[in-house]
Amino acid sequence: MRFSLVRQLLLLLGLAFLPAIGQAVYYRNSTSWAQPPVDSAPVSLAQAESWGGTVLWLDARSDEQFARRHIPGALQLNEDRWDDLLRAMLLQWSPDRRLVVYCSRETCHASHEVAERLRKEAGLTNVYVLQGGWEEWETAHR
Amino acid sequence: MKIRSAFLIVSLTFLFLRPAGAALVWEQKEADLHPALTDKTAVAHFKYKNTGDKPVKITSVHASCGCTTAALAKDTVAPEESGEIVATFTIGDRSGVQTKTITVRTDDQPEQATILKLKATIPQLLQVAPVFLFWSAKDALTPKVITVGVGADYAVDKINVTSTDKSIETEVVPVPDKKEFRVIVKPTESGRPINASLKIEPVLKADAHKPYYANVRIDSRAKPPPQ
Repeated sequence: MRFSLVRQLLLLLGLAFLPAIGQAVYYRNSTSWAQPPVDSAPVSLAQAESWGGTVLWLDARSDEQFARRHIPGALQLNEDRWDDLLRAMLLQWSPDRRLVVYCSRETCHASHEVAERLRKEAGLTNVYVLQGGWEEWETAHR
Repeated sequence: MKIRSAFLIVSLTFLFLRPAGAALVWEQKEADLHPALTDKTAVAHFKYKNTGDKPVKITSVHASCGCTTAALAKDTVAPEESGEIVATFTIGDRSGVQTKTITVRTDDQPEQATILKLKATIPQLLQVAPVFLFWSAKDALTPKVITVGVGADYAVDKINVTSTDKSIETEVVPVPDKKEFRVIVKPTESGRPINASLKIEPVLKADAHKPYYANVRIDSRAKPPPQ
């Protein structure tokens, strides 16, 4: 009796695994959507603000969001108009500046993508992503 | 024996049952887009149908970035009614594979959001690296090199490079047996800060392509080029 129950449980578990295995095989080449963005040297708001005037704030949000409100002194740098905005940003850049990129909130990936392009394509160092994004700054400065 | 058979049947039934309360059924939750070189946007259609017996209200549709908008014709879906969410991804100056998500919430399952996924593979005619050259106060103004690779699907025999500052000279050298060019950037002047932009354009019969850019910055204290 006990052996039979164990056998049935094993059978059920085996059946439950079949669709999972099938899905894993079918989607083996798919993008992992749950994959977190590349680690982009996160920095807390307190840490970034402690750097004072060496920080160059970079706003990776859309033009509309930037126009509505942004961190004072921040420059726009998003991928919608990357070429133009990068050129303008580089005029303000100097080797001693720390670049802190932010977008709207924690789940926004734009800041990570902008930070990654600054490192890979422009070869810049001292590039950070603000933890909590614009929402964090806005909450702290209400 | 009968009890055991009943147990097995009930268990198997639960195993293959669809999730309860899933009234909105999506035709597809992932879109794989391949826009053309000249396209400004990539559009995905996510179709759904209310297979339940009650109206379903779509309470929120939220895209993961400002570059994607999601349009909804009507927010309440009657039983057996179909509809779609049209997601428009603005390509802008992005390149490579871009993945964006759209989170949809409905009133029948407020805690369980549906994640729609949009993947756009943006063709790249040229790959410029690095896009920024900097000569600091410590540097001598010796030439630096920018590599311009040609995308796998394209044939480019020649590129033109123009500088916004006449003191920055450039020389384009094709790399033999590789779909690649080397752009040698030579500063010819010192003693003043220079911010220049290099416009890099492929010479193609078709005119429908955007230019690429690299940026040059020279500190006024950078040392003159060696004689």
